[in-house]
This record gives sequence, structure tokens and C-alpha cells, in this order.
Amino acid sequence: MELAAFRTALDQWLDEHGDALAPDRPQDTLDEHMAQLAKVKRLTFDAGFMRFGWSERVGGLGGSPLLRAYLGEALTTRDLVEPGIYSMTETLAPTMVDYAAPALAAEMVPRLLRGDETWCQGFSEPGTGSNLAALACRAVREDSGWRVTGQKVWTSLAQYAQRCVLLVRTGPVESAHGGITALFADMERPGITVRPIDTLHGGPEFCEVFFDDVVVPTGRLLGQEGQGWSVAMDLLPHERSTALWHKAAFLQRRLQDLLDTVAEEALDPVQVGETVQLLAAFRARSRATQHQLAAGERLGPETSVDKVLAAGAEQAVFDLVEAGLAVEVLLGDGSSASRWRSEYLFSRAATIYGGTSEIQRNIIARRLLDLGDDR
Amino acid sequence: MEGDELELFSRTLGAAAEAHSGAALDAALVELGWHEALADDPGAAVSVLFEHQGRVPCTSSALDDVVTQALGAGPHQDMAVVLPWLGRAEPPARRDGGHLVVEGLGTNRLLGAETALVVAQGPAGDVAAVVKTSELAARPVRGIDPALGLSAVSGAATALGPLSALHPGDWTEALSRGRLAAGHEMVGASTAMLELARRHALERVQFGRPIAAFQAVRHRLADTLVALESARALLDAAWHEESAGTAAMAKAACGGAARTASRHCQQVLAGTGFTTEHPLHRYIRRVLVLDELFGSARSLTAELGREVLARRRLPTPIPL
Repeated sequence: MELAAFRTALDQWLDEHGDALAPDRPQDTLDEHMAQLAKVKRLTFDAGFMRFGWSERVGGLGGSPLLRAYLGEALTTRDLVEPGIYSMTETLAPTMVDYAAPALAAEMVPRLLRGDETWCQGFSEPGTGSNLAALACRAVREDSGWRVTGQKVWTSLAQYAQRCVLLVRTGPVESAHGGITALFADMERPGITVRPIDTLHGGPEFCEVFFDDVVVPTGRLLGQEGQGWSVAMDLLPHERSTALWHKAAFLQRRLQDLLDTVAEEALDPVQVGETVQLLAAFRARSRATQHQLAAGERLGPETSVDKVLAAGAEQAVFDLVEAGLAVEVLLGDGSSASRWRSEYLFSRAATIYGGTSEIQRNIIARRLLDLGDDR
Repeated sequence: MEGDELELFSRTLGAAAEAHSGAALDAALVELGWHEALADDPGAAVSVLFEHQGRVPCTSSALDDVVTQALGAGPHQDMAVVLPWLGRAEPPARRDGGHLVVEGLGTNRLLGAETALVVAQGPAGDVAAVVKTSELAARPVRGIDPALGLSAVSGAATALGPLSALHPGDWTEALSRGRLAAGHEMVGASTAMLELARRHALERVQFGRPIAAFQAVRHRLADTLVALESARALLDAAWHEESAGTAAMAKAACGGAARTASRHCQQVLAGTGFTTEHPLHRYIRRVLVLDELFGSARSLTAELGREVLARRRLPTPIPL
């Protein structure tokens, strides 16, 4: 299906099913956001829309990834899903399509798309934040698979997750990039402990995950043993492509919500103009990235530019929110005020999560500007 | 134009811009069929030529052709255009009885041409007229960037032939094209500044290693590239959408990126970049003037903010 036809059909279906798609309960907690996401994914999957843009090999209906970009944009613009938790689908499903054994991908990906399951991404560790190649969570090979022992941290949605795309060290400690392997682990296995971490913005978004001699079967290898760094390098650009287009739609919506409610004279016109421009530039850049993905180009370090622009736009939008709605953000206790406050506080992490702005600039300097080693 | 054809077009224009400047580049553009390209594919013609002009840097009077073509009045190589005065966005003249009172700028074409196209604001809307340049006082301005070859133009002139009434939006269309041309030229100049600073950072050794190894230097250059890429993305979107609002945002983003590039690249090039023995100063001079032409990043941003607040409505988002 072409984008224009998809857009028309989806918009019409969303109009007709607005009541069924709308949240059943107020969206004040992460539990409620997760329940709403699962409901919307199930309805859009059963109606077919969630299956477009994904390969037939994993239960999709084919077509361009632009269809996925538009689906998330439409759902976000109508305030039906929270784009941060929706983004795990766009980040993890492409990795399964590219690296899992075909039968495993065909079995698992539809569960994620239909909202039957939540998946998480086990990358960061207490000693390994920006320096991903130094990860230490250890996997020892045995006849039937691997035994995993170690710890992950900042693992978003691990407390809800049935599966985890997990990076482990299978080579010697000094093997750096070369000794990392990617596995697809079941979160219900014995030996896994999940501890949610409470956060500044009010939701236990992410967790510590402890692995104590956890068995991961042979068939759960993603790519080849020792190829985990390539899996990660192909996954990260997905975190900075379709999901960021959805983020742009979210920022557009919330900035318009601000304009609809803010008092006369509460905003500085220059700050408004700067923010509108930053958002437009981020959106223009992300649009080009969606079209590159649709043309079958392999995304790489250039998506770090998208991430820097996304973080800048998100913080600018919520700086404006805090300036224009200071009383609500700082003193309000109602549902709307709590949402503004939570989103404002969460935006402070935009330059931290998914690779800090410093790491993005390092990637840009090394890979796009070819400035050589920084040591 | 796309693919191989666009690449050949760009290589040809790039070679011409390297070899010629001013009237000689104007002549080369006629020879190379740039004006035909401007009529067929203005996006490609404007982006490619003006980015090369910024990168070299050199000048031409092609901006006159961009404006006259957008107004449906040309291009004619022997007719100049009066551009708005620095920082202004409205037409450069007003009607006063039978006269057109002109205050604006001209490119290097204005001093040699016999006639000039003037757009004037009047009580019943904008009009376009052709006037004799001999009726206007044109004074070459040197200023911060003498190589740009601008002239200050003023005076009261009578139209040759009848005035042609412009449709509402015609001037905005011409202004948008001018803004995009200036934007591409700033992107070209900023790309050149970034490359100069990048090469210097790799060659200059301090404390036993190239200064490119220092994160403070790397991040300045990375920020310059991010600013440039975001300006490029908005330029592309403005051509794609043909929206005056997006063209204004693109111009502002290009002006902002050019100032970012000037600041960071000058800092990285340090003392060397402060001398006139190094080419950096030519780009710094050029982008300061181009940022102001047709409205600066600062004024366009403030105006956008005031409009959004007055309408309580964001501009239509760039569609997928």
C-alpha cells in the first residue's frame, strides 16, 4: 500500500473507532500507559494497520517503513499512545527481523506488534554507560546454550517485559567490541531479578536487572557469537529513526496544547520562534531519515544528528512549557498539571538517554567529520 | 534533476565558480545554460549555484535572475533588480504620485545595466515596473565585505511603460526564493569554514597530539555540523513544500548555522584564522551580510514567534 492510501484509510479508521481506542482510564501512571499501549497495538494489529511496513516473514503485510512512521505519528497526534514506550517496538523488532533465526522471528515479532508482549533492551550496565564496549555481563557457553551472570541497569520497561534483547560478554574481558554476543532472553527464567528504579519525573520507567546463572538456549542467539557489537550498531540507528519521527509528532502536539491553554503575555515571542524553528528543523531532518530508510539505505552514524536535534527540540518545547505554565508545573496537583510536570522533568533526560549528547557528538566527530581518534 | 545529471550540473557549475567571479561568472552562467535550468528546476539551479558561490567564495548577479524569474519578469541579463535594503523584507520602493521612490540594494549587475526591475508598495497593492538606472543614484558599498560588490540604490524614478499590478503573494514568492538563495550561499560558506577548521584541527599539534584529539575542539566542530545539517534539512523542506513560512524558517536556520560556524571555526583556527593571510575572514564577512539580507535570523525568529502567539496556532507541520 502507498503512503497516501494508507494515510487516508488509517485516518478514517481512527475517526470511526475513536471511542474504542480512547483510554478507558485516566493516564496518570505508567501501568495505565502500558495498558493503553497494549490495547491500541492489539486493535491496530487486528485491523491490519500495525502489520504494514513489516515483512511477511514476521507476520507483516509488507510495504514501506514510511507506513510505520505514519502510524506512530497518527496515534501520537491523537494522544492515543505515549511515544516513549511505543518506541521499543520500532527499536527491537527490526533487530529480530535482521538477526534472529527465521522461525524465532516469525514466532516472536507478531507478539510484540500485537501488544501481547513487552520487550526490553539489556544494554547498559553499572560500569558501562556511554562506554558500551566495556560491558561485563558474562555468558558462558555450554552444550544447550549460555549461562548468563551479571547486571544491567537503565533497562526501560523490564518490569513489564517477557523478553530481553541482551548484550553479554562471551569473549575474554579484554576482547572489547570483539567479545560481545547478542541474545534473546526470556524474562521469566529462574535467576532473573528486576528492580524498578523510581525517577525524577514520577514513573519507574527503568530498572536494574540481575542475572544469576540464567540459562539462555542456543536457538536464542542473535547473529553470530561475537557479533553482538554489530547487532548493537544496527539497532541504535533504529532508536534514532522511526521512533524519533513519532517523538516529533508528540512535541508538535504538546506545543500546540500549550498554545491552546497558555495565558496572554506568558511567553517570550523570541523563545517561541526559536522553539518552533528547532522543532521544524528536527522534523525536516527526521523526514529525510524516514525516506532513506524507505529507500532501503542502511542507517548509520548520521542518525546521531537526528538524536542531537531531537533532544534539543524536546528540551526547548518543555522549557517553554515551564515558562508559560509555571504555576501548573510547579504547584499544580491536578491530572493535567501532573502530566505537564512529568513531561517537563522527563525532557531533562533527553540529552542523557539513548546515548548522551556528548556521545552523539563524539560519534559525529569521529564518524561524520573523520577527526580521528580522541586519545 | 537528480542522480548523474545533477552531479554533472554541480561539477560544471563548481568549476565555473572556482574560475570566475562577478561579471565573468555571469557570462559563464549564460554559456552553461544556468538560466534554462532556473526555469526548469529552480530548486536544483538555485541550491547548486549558490552553495558553490558560498563555498569558493565568489559573487555573481544570479540573485537578480532568481528574483525576476519568481516575479515572472525575466530573467534578462541586461536588467538588474533593486533588492530590499539590508535587513528589510518589504518591496524596496513605494509609489508617490507618478514616481517610484526607491531605497534598496543592487548586486554587481546594477552599476552596468541600463534598466532595473523595481517592486513598489502602493495603496492598491504591489506593482512591478522597469525603470532607467540613470534616474537612480547607485553608490558602490564597501563595508565589511567589499568583495560582495553591492551597491546602495536610491532616488525617484518614472516607470518605462505601464505599471504591472502584482497578485497578492507574488512579492512573498520572490522574497522566499531570494531567502533560499541566500540560505544556500550561507550553507556553502559554512561548509567551507567547517572544512578549513577540520583540516587545521587535524594538522595543528599541541601537547604532542593534533588538537582534533581534544573533546572541546571536536564538540565545537560536531555542533557546527549539526547546525548545518538542520539548516540543510529545512532548505530541502522549503523547496519541497513551496511554503513561504518554511522558507523563512530555513533562512533563519541558515543564518543561525552560519553564525555558529563562524564562532566555532574561528575559535578552532584561533590566531591563524584571525589573520587575512588565511581565507576564513572572507567567509565570516560574507555570511554576516547574507544573514541580514531579506531579514536576519534574529528578526525572522522574533517575527515567527509573534505570529504563532497571535494566531495561537503552530505552522502546518512538515508532512511525511
